[in-house]
Amino acid sequence: MTSPTDQELIERWRHEPAPLLPLLHAFHDRDGYLSDEALRAVARGLKIPLAELFGDVTFYHHFERDPSRTNAPRVCTGPVCRYQGGPEILAALEKDGATPMPCAGRCDDPVPVLRGGHALAGTAADSLRAHLSPLPPPNPGSHEECVFSAIREPGRARLDGYRRTGGYEALTKAVTELQPADLIHLVTENGLAGRGGAGFPTGTKWQAVADAAAHPKTVVCNADEGEPGCFKDRAILCHDPHAVLEGMTLAAYATGATRGFVYLRYEYPEAFRVLQHAIHEAEQAGLLGGSILGTDFAFHVHLRRGAGAYICGEEGSLLNSLEGKHPFPRNRPPFPVTHGYENLPTVVNNVETLAAAVQLIRRGGKWYRNLGMNGHAGTKVISLSGDIRRPGNYEVPIGLPLKTLLYEWAGGPFEGREIQAVTMAGLSGGFLAADDLEVTLDEPGIRAKGSFLGAGGIMVFDSTRDMIAVAHEAMSFFAHESCGKCFPCRIGTQRLTERLAGEAGPTELSAWIDEVSDLGETMKAVSACGLGLAAPLITESLLKYFPERVAQHVQA
Amino acid sequence: MIATEKDLKTHTMMLDGEAVSFTEGETIYEVAQRVKTDIPTLCYDQRLEAFGGCRLCVVEVEGQRLPVASCTTKATPGMVVRTSTATLEKHRKTLLEMVASENREIDVDPLRGYAAQELATLVDRYDARGGRFRGKRSGATREDDDNPFILRDYDLCISCYRCVRVCAEQEGDHAISVMNRGFETQITVEFEGLLKDSACTFCGQCVQTCPTGALADKKALRFAELPGAIEKTRTICAYCGVGCSVDVLTKGDTMVGIQPAMDGPANHGALCVKGQFAYDFVQHPDRLKTPLVRGDDGKLHEADWDTALDRAAEGLRRVVDQHGRHAVYAVASGRAPSEAAYAVQKLMRAGWGTNHIDNCSRA
Ligand SMILES: Cc1cc2nc3c(=O)[nH]c(=O)nc-3n(C[C@H](O)[C@H](O)[C@H](O)COP(=O)(O)O)c2cc1C
Ligand code: SF4
Ligand code: SF4
Ligand code: SF4
Ligand code: FES
Repeated sequence: MTSPTDQELIERWRHEPAPLLPLLHAFHDRDGYLSDEALRAVARGLKIPLAELFGDVTFYHHFERDPSRTNAPRVCTGPVCRYQGGPEILAALEKDGATPMPCAGRCDDPVPVLRGGHALAGTAADSLRAHLSPLPPPNPGSHEECVFSAIREPGRARLDGYRRTGGYEALTKAVTELQPADLIHLVTENGLAGRGGAGFPTGTKWQAVADAAAHPKTVVCNADEGEPGCFKDRAILCHDPHAVLEGMTLAAYATGATRGFVYLRYEYPEAFRVLQHAIHEAEQAGLLGGSILGTDFAFHVHLRRGAGAYICGEEGSLLNSLEGKHPFPRNRPPFPVTHGYENLPTVVNNVETLAAAVQLIRRGGKWYRNLGMNGHAGTKVISLSGDIRRPGNYEVPIGLPLKTLLYEWAGGPFEGREIQAVTMAGLSGGFLAADDLEVTLDEPGIRAKGSFLGAGGIMVFDSTRDMIAVAHEAMSFFAHESCGKCFPCRIGTQRLTERLAGEAGPTELSAWIDEVSDLGETMKAVSACGLGLAAPLITESLLKYFPERVAQHVQA
Repeated sequence: MIATEKDLKTHTMMLDGEAVSFTEGETIYEVAQRVKTDIPTLCYDQRLEAFGGCRLCVVEVEGQRLPVASCTTKATPGMVVRTSTATLEKHRKTLLEMVASENREIDVDPLRGYAAQELATLVDRYDARGGRFRGKRSGATREDDDNPFILRDYDLCISCYRCVRVCAEQEGDHAISVMNRGFETQITVEFEGLLKDSACTFCGQCVQTCPTGALADKKALRFAELPGAIEKTRTICAYCGVGCSVDVLTKGDTMVGIQPAMDGPANHGALCVKGQFAYDFVQHPDRLKTPLVRGDDGKLHEADWDTALDRAAEGLRRVVDQHGRHAVYAVASGRAPSEAAYAVQKLMRAGWGTNHIDNCSRA
């Protein structure tokens, strides 16, 4: 087979919605890198100014521009992998031009390595192999699950297996028995909130899009899952892709949307293939596309891959990325519900949110509400990793004590070690330690400790870890991923990283603390998006729980 | 858009304890400016879409947990806004200390550009020169770009993106863009090349909006060492009929540069490469100051206007006598105003009886 010409690639994508990323990926897949000629051809083909396109491409770290580095491996050196062999694998693969990458969302099965569009994993360079993304461990509690209730069923990722286990029942019920307003009512009344980090009430979001006058409307599934220590969406996407598509279709039915996008992080090539197949199956079966279940309800879903930028999970940045613009977050208001994709009304929902909506609609609001504990509605998937015996994705009733998850469900720390600290919201919630580990897994409980549950990633660091090093790794992630739009985050993440590395900053403790606190206070108050607002929780919680370590670090 | 008096009935909000009226669509910052409440900014240029990057313009809005950027937030009826609480002023000082820490220097020559001292002025106002937050510096100066007009001294850049936005939104050239991200951000053209190989038209708008002098007027900087205060004289660019307002910068009798007038009715701070940079002829030794007429010796000699015009008329008449009226042809200067262009065509049509008339403007 001869490889396609520039013109063929451009013709393939030019008339598709959101063509820039797939077109760049097509050139990248063909050539192994993005040449100057490729960028000139794309700029001409899509009528994008060349300087802008060049700038945009440099934003995404998986786009290679150097022809001598095609298919160079990328090795995860995220907060978990750095203690599980990441740096050693990186060193061993240096001869192949390997470079480090931030958390690639496989903390339950370290260390992920990306090579030529494939994901490998292993704890040493010679044991790397391609194997399926791990399923969630068997449900250890006596609590009923929601999004994971059927994920372990054999064949669930295929349409026939999905249908055999209750799949598309919710959609059939909605389209044949329910009005869009009924769906919104159901979701609103039963407390489903966003699982992507911000916890915004899903029904309210759907209602706002349904109420918006402009058309066409769009549903975006946020599958960018870039938060370190979060890998729950990966499990759902790889093992239960139709649940995501069904959730999107329900959101479309509720809001009147006619087009949909799944924005998938580049680091999940397996999920990419699974989703491609699932979309095809659903279209063939009349569950997606022009006439869903034989009605005049139409909804088309397009799969788009990111290219290595955590900020593209922030919804404004994601929408800019889809539109082929520089992926800075957008100013809010206006919000995506009125000014989303192409400035038209748009639902942006997380993978888990959509999968939970399916079960809520299928099993009923009362069932869903009662899944939670102590008056909280529903469940939350927690990605648990790090220094813990049984890492993995656990679906917990909201309100479950953290210690029950850590010690009873996941087996506690390794022999002879103690849990020193855990992160919350992946990294964005900073650390919890000491007495604050006595907390229940729900937003009010965790917010009372100055942190938040967010997307539900929890990384465990036991007593053998140096918390200064852990905090430095965390802050350098935020510095690496800061988009550069706003001053407090662009400069603040850099300065905090330097201070945690001991490279710069006062050597006198109180001056050091003053600088770090002042940086943090301003970042927390005036940053332009959630990244910069959350990043200083790392230093704030470090100072709160580990003041002696900070003092040693500064004086050393 | 600043509202006019007669629009100001619609709604009311509270700004620092005063009731002020505003029209729908105005941002808090615009309202504040209109009523002369000063809010500091660095990424703001009133000609551009508000960006929300520097965060200096943050204000407190009652009922909101966090301060909001006044440049991007629309005023709403009944809103209660405070623009300069102690907390806000502390954030502003911290932000200025942060940007000061990434820069090689703060004090720059005012010849660098119209807005070049915005950062220095704010740093002084907030007493943010204490040297806090020291660390790595951002931005790499492009010493290799030897174009004659624009200095790309990115060591001084604070990533406000005014240059990129003015180039796209005002000039429509999209010649420069943002490369990399976070602290590694760098202003660039495609493939990190030189301005002359890019879509840049050297209009200089990026230079004039830059609040730090990171982009600077190389021609004006030739006179940096010349003693004397800079004086500005408002005039109109003589190059074409658009009539862009400019400020001519002088030190003593020496013309040292041109800056666009931000309030110029025809140009709102815009110029083209000629208006911005092509002024050397004014004090060039070769500049013609009197007419020259060729003598019998074949050389050019200084003459008065009557002599020169008589000679021109003679020559034209001789050509028409010998070869007919269509043997002459006039090209009016694109720099001439409409009235002069009209007179030229009148001379050709009514005077000589030919339609051979043209104008050099081909843009
Ligand atoms: C820096 C940053 C990164 C984010 N990354 C993700 C992400 O990877 N996936 C996600 O679903 N939401 C992410 N979000 C949250 C989204 O902006 C948005 O709130 C979410 O997708 C809405 O869906 P939900 O209401 O279903 O949670 C991120 C937010 C920020 C500030
Ligand atoms: S907070 Fe950070 S990531 Fe968010 S807009 Fe500002 S610089 Fe970009
Ligand atoms: S001189 Fe004009 S065209 Fe060139 S980069 Fe600056 S604004 Fe753009
Ligand atoms: S060069 Fe000047 S205008 Fe451009 S981003 Fe830097 S500081 Fe702002
Ligand atoms: S002027 Fe509002 S953020 Fe810069």
